[in-house]
Amino acid sequence: MTDQSSTRMNTAADGVAKLTPEPLARRMRSLSDRAIAWLFISPTIILLLAINIFPLIWTIQLSFTNYAANRPNRPVKDIGLRNYERILNDTDIWLAMQATAHFVIWTIVLQTLIGFTLAYLIDRKFRGHAFWTTLILLPMMLSPAVVGNFWRFLYQPQIGLFNYIISFFTGIPPSSFVMTGSVNLAPWSIVIVDTWMWSPYVMLICLAGLRSIPDYLYEAAEVDRASPWRQFWSITLPLAMPFIMLAVLFRGIENFKMFDMVNLLTGGGPGSTTEVASITLKREAFEKWRTGYSSAFAIILFVTVFGLANIYVKALNRVKQR
Amino acid sequence: MSRNNTRPRSSWPLFLRRGPMEIVATVLIALGVFMLMQPFWITLYTYSLVTTLAGTVMYIIVTKFPE
Amino acid sequence: MSATNTTAHSVVEPSVRSRRIAGAIVILYAAITMIPLFWIFITGMKSPPDSISYPPKVVFEPTSEGYCNLFTTRTRQTEEYVKALGEPETICDEITRRRNMVIAGPSNYWPRFVNSLIIAFGSTFCAVFLGTLAAYGFSRFRVPLADDLLFFILSTRMMPPIAVAIPIYLMYRELGLSDTRLGMILLYTAVNVSLAVWLLKGFIDEIPREYEEAAMIDGYTRMQAFWKVVLPQATTGIAATAIFCLIFAWNEYAFAVLLTSGTAQTAPPFIPTIIGEGGMDWPAVGAGTTLFLIPIFVFTVLLRKHLLRGITFGAVRK
Repeated sequence: MTDQSSTRMNTAADGVAKLTPEPLARRMRSLSDRAIAWLFISPTIILLLAINIFPLIWTIQLSFTNYAANRPNRPVKDIGLRNYERILNDTDIWLAMQATAHFVIWTIVLQTLIGFTLAYLIDRKFRGHAFWTTLILLPMMLSPAVVGNFWRFLYQPQIGLFNYIISFFTGIPPSSFVMTGSVNLAPWSIVIVDTWMWSPYVMLICLAGLRSIPDYLYEAAEVDRASPWRQFWSITLPLAMPFIMLAVLFRGIENFKMFDMVNLLTGGGPGSTTEVASITLKREAFEKWRTGYSSAFAIILFVTVFGLANIYVKALNRVKQR
Repeated sequence: MSRNNTRPRSSWPLFLRRGPMEIVATVLIALGVFMLMQPFWITLYTYSLVTTLAGTVMYIIVTKFPE
Repeated sequence: MSATNTTAHSVVEPSVRSRRIAGAIVILYAAITMIPLFWIFITGMKSPPDSISYPPKVVFEPTSEGYCNLFTTRTRQTEEYVKALGEPETICDEITRRRNMVIAGPSNYWPRFVNSLIIAFGSTFCAVFLGTLAAYGFSRFRVPLADDLLFFILSTRMMPPIAVAIPIYLMYRELGLSDTRLGMILLYTAVNVSLAVWLLKGFIDEIPREYEEAAMIDGYTRMQAFWKVVLPQATTGIAATAIFCLIFAWNEYAFAVLLTSGTAQTAPPFIPTIIGEGGMDWPAVGAGTTLFLIPIFVFTVLLRKHLLRGITFGAVRK
């Protein structure tokens, strides 16, 4: 590191020597550091105010009305908190939240198990592990929508590859079950695709956690003749925990608002068995056009995500200190 | 933003110090999220938003307190 | 993901046998995880009957029919009509005529692909530009309430897209921005700028302040120091950030499907709408998906050393 920074220092100094100040810059000299700081930061803040905060305030305001976007001429009535009351007593939306919970919990459980196991194995540093790691990472970079759409093909009852492979190993006829079409299997079909896509994400973060554990701890444990099992439970797992938490929180937030993959794979169906929160929101807002009502629902989801985001940033800072 | 566990030197009372209050706020947020998505009792679901909101507001205020 | 940063557990070096077993399991997992991607790729080269055969075919005669169908629209004609036509001009002509069809014109895939390119690159450029400035501001100056501003910036990325889409839909309708490329570029810039600020702040934090201070002692203004000293040092970081933003904008679906319908529609909402006669035209979908995914393959390989940083908003380095 010191080597590197000294060479960097040299190149920087060379660059400095070559260049001479320009007249325009002389005028800029009068700008104080404080002015520059605001000049640099304000465009970003203004953009975010315009595209994120102003709409958010608008949503809050709409959530107190009965506005419908497809009927802009209807008089807009202020109905206070009635939208919130209705949503928070609506059993259909409660069911949608439970469908979301099923999706979030199972994806987190499976992804953490698979991701951590993979990271633990990759940390054994077998030959060629860098190559295989990159290969494993591919699914998480792809578009969930476009890939989710293709999974619909893999899930086709007779011709789909997924059903064929299942029947090949279990002997169940491949046309006897419809992953995306049956009430029992549809919630699992989205869990499978999400796990396939995002286990590498958990793996990558866990790998960083495992690599951050200093060797001397293991050496000391070895001197104390602690069994590998014991080393795993009292060194590896506790020290990797902040990283696992980080991955779990982020996957939790992301899957809580999951839309694209589910929308293309099942569209919330059959019936409303896979209707996760974002799908319900889309149906209310852009199919039934109950803008005021859906705004209130959007605010509920937003508050939840915002609360979780606070915890996430706390977890980020904890990892950063390592 | 650091959470160090050294003995606090300030004369702030415990309930106004950052560390423990932050934990309370975090638990409140987690509780709200659980209430929103649990399948057991609709009354819990009804009050989930209030809980999460309270936790979040508390978190924002509490992080301004001294360590 | 380089093999060089070893944590060689000197005493606890895993045994050769445990390493082999670990390798075998990971390679098996990698192979299984690649099956869907492999299937996308080969489906694009199958003929429609091959693509829906049972049992699924791994060995087949490759054809460009999927790609032809992807880029064209076709109309069915009588056999006599097709025979009366002259020599086929292109290979696609020939393939379509074999199915008693005639190419009617180009499909919408290419315009949608171009939209994706324009919107992804446009928004990435804006986001990285704004992000670099803001990141430098946060990294080098004492900004009041910096932590809160940074959290606010990050939280905008966490918002559920559908929740944001409701007011954006109304706003764009008022401003005449719905279904325009400009509107989508603005929206994606706003979403990406948060990632750009957080990532670039990490990268700029790593450049020692002494460089700029030395330059400023030599008569540089702050602006010049930023432009001629900091930026060149941050090139790798800026490139990595740009690729991350590009991938996000390229992959985005929720905003695109709700806010665009025609002229500004990107590829992700378009690909699921590709249908043939009597059901999905899976070879065409496979072909469209393959073309759409290739850039991401390339980017992922380019980015592999910075992936970890990108997905943790710059918190975990290395």
